[in-house]
Amino acid sequence: MGLKVYADRTSQPSRTIIIFCKMNQIDFEEVKIDLSKGQHRTPEFEKINPMKKVPAIVDGRFKLFESHAILRYLACSFPSVSDHWYPNDLTSRAKIDSILDWHHANLRQGAGTYVFHGAMAPAFGLPLNAQVAEQGKKLMLSSLSKIELFWLRGDSRFLLGNSQPSIADLSLVCELMELEVVDSEERERILEPHQKIRDWMENVKRATHPHFLEVHGILYELKARLESRRNKVSTNL
Amino acid sequence: MGLKVYADRMSQPSRAIIIFCKMNRIDFEEVRIDISKGQHRTPEFEKINPMKQVPAIVDGKFKLFESHAILRYLACFFPSVSDHWYPNDLTSRAKIDSILDWHHANLRRGAMTYVFNSALAPALGFPLNAQAAEEGKKLLSSSISKIKSFWLKGNSRFLLGNAQPSIADLSLVCELMQLEVVDSEERQRILEPHQEIRDWMENVKRATNPHFLEVHGILYKVKARLESRRNRVSPKL
Repeated sequence: MGLKVYADRTSQPSRTIIIFCKMNQIDFEEVKIDLSKGQHRTPEFEKINPMKKVPAIVDGRFKLFESHAILRYLACSFPSVSDHWYPNDLTSRAKIDSILDWHHANLRQGAGTYVFHGAMAPAFGLPLNAQVAEQGKKLMLSSLSKIELFWLRGDSRFLLGNSQPSIADLSLVCELMELEVVDSEERERILEPHQKIRDWMENVKRATHPHFLEVHGILYELKARLESRRNKVSTNL
Repeated sequence: MGLKVYADRMSQPSRAIIIFCKMNRIDFEEVRIDISKGQHRTPEFEKINPMKQVPAIVDGKFKLFESHAILRYLACFFPSVSDHWYPNDLTSRAKIDSILDWHHANLRRGAMTYVFNSALAPALGFPLNAQAAEEGKKLLSSSISKIKSFWLKGNSRFLLGNAQPSIADLSLVCELMQLEVVDSEERQRILEPHQEIRDWMENVKRATNPHFLEVHGILYKVKARLESRRNRVSPKL
């Protein structure tokens, strides 16, 4: 009874876990929990994660939720995981922890709010909310500037000037990939001023190829669906 | 040149670091950064923490911010720290990581939003905001219910049924202590239905006394000042 990963690939932290496992040859069974169908609210899934969120893992009898806790656990539990993902060296590890912690109330909150209330909500039967989306966008933009200023200084390929990606790179870039589902021109306007961010995203994609592209496939499908819906609405106006 | 902890004792995560160091006999110098006087925005402090937030530490040439990253680092680095704070056992550790991660967008966001917008804002030069306070209170209440249902099941003395406190207990209880500065009746209404939460807070206080009481001293002073201000305002109505 191996590792089970309960995930919805439209969820940024779910994608992080799946890509991480594939990159590190960790055997696992992916169990799809379709958020748009409310599968996270079933009594069966509540037994897996009482918070009713994805991702969650079950490893034997051990259950765990919160993607950063899962990434740390997997990095430390599986010997096949290379050190650069979550180094043994205490100060290197602490710097990565710092970014992972900062992420929650900054990039994740900003980007998550902006994308959901500005584009994704209809996929879950909820209305868009331009005001809330705008607040999210402000926080997201200031978070992008901070990442560039502090963690991608100089010629950094990855966060903290590392030459290989860590779980922080993977988590934050998967978050930014969610921008694929907003209006393309809007997305370009957001990322255009941030060359370092765009280069860093490319570095992470290349370093985790082919899994990164494969796992993000569903996002491009969702993007197409939402774009076609947006076009239908504009034509009706 | 030993460990320096840059802190404002009005900040919940600052208190967690200070109490943790004192409990574990970690030698440190506390450098006060007074948020109400804007000392976190000076160029000198920006060199310590470019995010301009407390707490932050400097250990030799190593700088670190984000209280959970700091707690993990201190627990792993200093041999005097007992195992129960952040166990070596991977699954026990992962469960604690899970709570620490969940905290950011749940208890912390709820409690901070509520306390700031209903009580503390004027001390920092901002107006109160009843609507924001109400949203914060909703998230705070639902977070408290979740802690009770999932992590304090049965007769748990500490989170996860542990017999001794972890860094998760300390971080979350320091957050809840911030409620001391809101109107006393309001605070009672929030905590009254939750005997397990009140017992747990007492357990953490007792396990970390006298440091817990000493470090929270400033909170009681601020509480008294705010209460006297509220009493001055009410008679006029």
